[in-house]
Amino acid sequence: MSALLAAAGVRKSFDGFLVLDDVSFAVPERGLTGIVGTNGAGKSTLFAVVSGQLEADGGRVTFADADITGLPPTRRARLGLGRTFQVPREFAHLTVRENFLVAARREYGETLRSVFIGWGRVRREERALRERADAWIEFLNLKQVRGKPAGTLSGGQKKLLELGRMLMLEPKCILLDEPFAGVNPVLVGEISTRIRELNATHGIAFVIIEHHLEALKALVGHLYVMDQGRIIADGDPTAVLAEPRVLEAYMGGVI
Amino acid sequence: MTAYLVAVGIIALIYMLLTIGLNLQYGYTGLINFGVVAFFAIGAYASALLTLAGWPLLPAFVVAMVAAAVVAYPIGLLSLRLSDDYLAVVTLGFSEVVRLVIQQERWLTHGVQGLPGIPRIFHSLGVGQYAELATLAALALCNLAAIGLMLHLVRSPYGRLIQAIRDDEVAVEAIGKDPRRLKVQVFMLGSGLAGLAGAFYAHFITYLSPDQFLPLVTFYVWIAMIIGGTGRTTGAVAGSLILMVFLEGSRFARDWIPGVSEVQMASVRLALVGLALILFTMYRPQGMMGVRR
Repeated sequence: MSALLAAAGVRKSFDGFLVLDDVSFAVPERGLTGIVGTNGAGKSTLFAVVSGQLEADGGRVTFADADITGLPPTRRARLGLGRTFQVPREFAHLTVRENFLVAARREYGETLRSVFIGWGRVRREERALRERADAWIEFLNLKQVRGKPAGTLSGGQKKLLELGRMLMLEPKCILLDEPFAGVNPVLVGEISTRIRELNATHGIAFVIIEHHLEALKALVGHLYVMDQGRIIADGDPTAVLAEPRVLEAYMGGVI
Repeated sequence: MTAYLVAVGIIALIYMLLTIGLNLQYGYTGLINFGVVAFFAIGAYASALLTLAGWPLLPAFVVAMVAAAVVAYPIGLLSLRLSDDYLAVVTLGFSEVVRLVIQQERWLTHGVQGLPGIPRIFHSLGVGQYAELATLAALALCNLAAIGLMLHLVRSPYGRLIQAIRDDEVAVEAIGKDPRRLKVQVFMLGSGLAGLAGAFYAHFITYLSPDQFLPLVTFYVWIAMIIGGTGRTTGAVAGSLILMVFLEGSRFARDWIPGVSEVQMASVRLALVGLALILFTMYRPQGMMGVRR
C-alpha cells in the first residue's frame, strides 16, 4: 500500500534551534490520522512544511505519488492538499458564502479579462459554484450565517468555515490544525461527525492535530506522538496513548 | 467666480481619479502605494511631451495611461514578492526618483524651468469658459467610467479574490491561488488611472515642473481615501471632494486669521488638512462613506 501523503526525514530549524528533527510519517489514502504532542513539539511547523508555508531544511514530502518538497503552497493546494490553521484565517470582510466561493477552482472568473468581457461566462460559472458552495454550507450547518461577514463568526464557526473553504478545493487530503480548540462540546461532536462523513462518503483523508485526546482517539485510526521535534511513538490511538514514554512526554509523567 | 469654481471642480475630479485608483490598490487589495505621484507625473509628462511634439491629444492620453501602467509593472514585480511594507518604501522612494529624474534630464523635461505651453484640452473651443467646462465634463465622464468599473469589479469573482488577498494572503495561497499575479495587475490598473489623471492635469495647468510632483500629492490622495472611507468606491468620491473643500476652503481662511502671510498660509493649510484627518480618524474612523465593521 502506497501512502497518499508522506514525509521522510524532515528537518527544520529556526535560528539553530531544531524544531523538526528527522520526522517521518505516512498517511494512507482515505486515512484518518492524528498527531498529538505538547505545545512546542513541532506539530504546526510540520503542517507548515508539509503544506509549503515553510521550507524544510532537509527531507522529502510526497503527495499522490509526486515529490512536492520544493513546491510553493499554491501548487500543493491545487494538487488537492488542503489545510486549516490553528488560528482561523478567514477572509474577514467577505461573507461566509463569498469565503466558500473564493476558494473554488475556476477557469475564467478570476482573470482580469473577465472583468471586462465574457460576463455571461462568469455568470454561468458563478451559478454552478454557488450551488456547490450552498450545499457545503448546508452540510456544515452554516446556513444561518451565510450572508454575514466571516469576521463576525464565533471561533467554532470559523473552524467550520475554513474546513468548508477547503472542501471547495475538492481535496484528497486535509490537514486540520486543532479543529476542536475553543469549540464548545456540542460542536466538537458535530465536527467529528462531519469529518467522519467526509472521509466515508468523499474519501478525503484527514491529518488532525489536536489536544482534545478523547475526541481524537474516537476519530482517528492511527496516531503519531511528537515531542521536542521528534516522533516518539505511533500506532493504534488507544495503545499509543497508554505507552509509558508517551505518558511521560505528553503528560509530564504526572499521571 | 464661475471660472474659479470650474477650476476647483477640475482639480477635484483629477484627485478623484487618483483616489479611485489608490482605493483599488489599497482599499480593496491592501497594496500600500506611497508613490501615487510618480505615476501621476509619468502620465503628465508623457502626454505633455507627446503633444508638444505634435501628437493629437487623444492618443497622447492613451499613451499616458499605458506608460504609467507599464512602469508600474517592474516595480510591482520586484516589490510584491516581499511583504507589503516593502512596497510602501519602494514606491515612496520611486516617486522621488521620478521627480529627480524629471529635474535632471533637462534635454527632455527642461528640468526645473519646466515645460510651458502644453496644449489645452478642447483648445478649439477658445480660451474661455467653454473649453474648461468641456474639460470638466470629460473628466466627469472618465470618473463615471472609473466608478462604474470599480462597482462592477468589486462584485465580480476577480474583485472577491483581491479582497481575499487584502484580508489574508497566506489563506489565499492555501486555497491554491497565487496572490502575486493579481497584485501586479491591480497595481498596474490603479497606476494607469493615475497616469490618466496626470494627463488631464498637464493639459489643464498647461505648465509642468518637477516641484508639482512632491510626495505631498501622494499623501493628499491618501487623506482623501481615508476621509472618504477606505475600501468603498463612494468613499473615494466623497473623500476627494471633502479634501478639495479643505484645500480650497482654507485659502479663504486667511481672511479671518489675522497676521498670516501668503507663505505662512501654505503651512496653515497643511495644518488644517492634518487636523481634519485627525478629527476624522477620531470620530469617524471608517470614513465618511464607510460602514463600521
